[in-house]
Amino acid sequence: MKISDQLIKDLAPKKFGKRGVIWTIFLSVIIVLGIIAYIDQLIKGQEVTNMRDYALWGIYISNFVFFVATSFVGSVTVAILRLTKNSWRTPLVRIAEIISVAAIIMAGITIMIDMARPDRLLNLFIHARLQSPITWDVVIIPTYIVISLLLLYFPLIPDLAILKGPLEKTQPRLSKLYGKMALKWNGSKAQKALQEKSIRIIAIMIIPVGLLLQTIDAWLFSTTYRIGWDSTNFAPYFISGAFVAGVGALVVVIFLVRWFKKLENYITDSHFDKLGKFLVLACLTYLYFNVNEYFIPFFTAKKGEMAHLDMLFTGSYAPLFWLVIIGGLVLPILVLLFKKGRRPKSMFVIGILVVLGSWWKRFIIVTPTLLHPFLPIQGVPESWRHYFPSTHEWLITGATLAMAFLIITVLVRYLPVIPIQRTADEQQMLQSSKNSKS
Amino acid sequence: MKGQIKYRFVLLAFLGVFSLNMAFQDLYAQEAEKNRVRLKLDYVKIMDGDVYLDIKASARIDKKNVEISNITLEVFNEVNDEEIDLGNVITNMKGESKFTIKDLKSLKPDSTNVYTLGISFKGNDLYKSASKSVSFRDAEITAKIITKDSTNFVTATLKDISLDSLLVGHSLDVQVQRLFSPLKIGEEFNNTDENGTILVPVEKGIPGVNGNLTLEVVLNDSDDYGTVKALINAQIGTPIVEESTFDQRTLWSPRGKTPIFILVIANLITFGIWGILLYLMYNLFKISKS
Repeated sequence: MKISDQLIKDLAPKKFGKRGVIWTIFLSVIIVLGIIAYIDQLIKGQEVTNMRDYALWGIYISNFVFFVATSFVGSVTVAILRLTKNSWRTPLVRIAEIISVAAIIMAGITIMIDMARPDRLLNLFIHARLQSPITWDVVIIPTYIVISLLLLYFPLIPDLAILKGPLEKTQPRLSKLYGKMALKWNGSKAQKALQEKSIRIIAIMIIPVGLLLQTIDAWLFSTTYRIGWDSTNFAPYFISGAFVAGVGALVVVIFLVRWFKKLENYITDSHFDKLGKFLVLACLTYLYFNVNEYFIPFFTAKKGEMAHLDMLFTGSYAPLFWLVIIGGLVLPILVLLFKKGRRPKSMFVIGILVVLGSWWKRFIIVTPTLLHPFLPIQGVPESWRHYFPSTHEWLITGATLAMAFLIITVLVRYLPVIPIQRTADEQQMLQSSKNSKS
Repeated sequence: MKGQIKYRFVLLAFLGVFSLNMAFQDLYAQEAEKNRVRLKLDYVKIMDGDVYLDIKASARIDKKNVEISNITLEVFNEVNDEEIDLGNVITNMKGESKFTIKDLKSLKPDSTNVYTLGISFKGNDLYKSASKSVSFRDAEITAKIITKDSTNFVTATLKDISLDSLLVGHSLDVQVQRLFSPLKIGEEFNNTDENGTILVPVEKGIPGVNGNLTLEVVLNDSDDYGTVKALINAQIGTPIVEESTFDQRTLWSPRGKTPIFILVIANLITFGIWGILLYLMYNLFKISKS
């Protein structure tokens, strides 16, 4: 089938404008600052962080959990919408795949930052105990990285072949690269069959693997007996939280990509409306699990649990806790329940609230529990009883977030963010049905 | 000009007040009230073992009991208003110290065979001087295990050594040594009879490593004799059976002893997923060739 010039013109990657360059430089500066801080951390050790004997998991781990959660977007949007044959997904899936790849790569890097001794990374494999959820995490993260890359790559092959020709004169290097990455794609029946079969396998496989990833992430906490973590509810709680974080991030990135690349004809208000419904479903599910997570310990009122809940509900973490629950969950639900709330601009604001809420929610899950050990904290400096990240931790964490944005930016710059072949196929099908009706 | 004079005057006044304040610092320090030291002194004799003084130093500061660490205490033997120096001890972080008496015979009792040992603290910048003494007569406990009608008993006799007389009507504690605090056995009060002896049955089923029990017979903090303790080791307990899972495949065992079901499930999932991933990568190869 012939792809229209208009479609290629609209969807082919374009060079950065001024704003794109400034944005990339901004991200690069944050990354460089983070790398300097990380080198200092390597030299001086984790003493430069504010993690101590009690709060031994800090912002790095909560950031890691956030990345893992966000990577779930590949499973929930791409795979589920594909398997349920929701055709409105077409202009959104590639961006979801890109977010998924960026988030899971950064999750892997973040966990290494928390290890403090990257030279001991190999020990995770040499001395791996299969009984430990940490080992399962070591296995599942590289696995999910590969699946996410394949999920991005397989549907991309025809698009790369399509773009090779038109870009030959304007961007010869990119055209050559696309040619190599297109794997001699000519759209033959055999190739299409192989590609479709492979995509179907990945779409099916990424759902259990994504669930496994979130479950293992939850089990890292819930198998430790600690107050606030020792919960059979934890895996579904994490899965629903990942659903929220992933779709929230998708809404934000889609809005920005649509705005920068002027894709209003492809990503319409209707897409935002549908994504809004999807997000409100995610938020309601997560709210339900939050009620479970906090109500039962509150109702049974065990002494340790009550101290933990007091800290969250009325204590030192109360402002953050209520901000996250209300601002990052309840308010989005209330807004998204109305059609006006599901318009692009309000969706963008809600998306940002949801993403910020999701990030801080992980901080609330990780830190307060560590400050409630079973034995009283005694004989240690006063500062060890509290935790707030140090400048090093903020710089490094900021850099990881910037790196995730940079990966997304680079991929959005060099790849067609909306599947060209599939859009053309859908346009053709639409035209055919119109013709047959007339 | 006037302004300059005023400025100089203010500067001089300021320096003057500052210097005076510095000069009186020591004076203020001397005027600060010193705290009173509370000394606690106990005499302990373990039969066929150590004889020592248990010392504890504390103070009441701001309505709180504070342990006084790192102070030097002189230990002496008091005989007829004469103090014979025995040595010094320094309190540890908990304000405690132990002074071991190598040989009780080296101490001098008074004419009634009563020993008086004392400790004294000279005082320092923070605390006033203090002293404390303890008087005791030398006593001994002989203890052993006897078996009657297949029941084990602890029998112990309490004797005043200097008078060479059995002590009647003194309460002795019988207890089994345990990690944190001893386990008392027998009646609440086991008073010595006319032979200075007690007889206390040992319950069956008390656990011990290889069935070994260390039993203690204690004359506890007596006004006349201090604390005297006799120890008996006997294999009359129920052996502890160690329920070790060391050689088993458990969730907490090392990697070489991973439970089979975890090995099977984890490997099936991992190799299953990676098998499919390799197949997908092979499909990429096939696409490029077809």
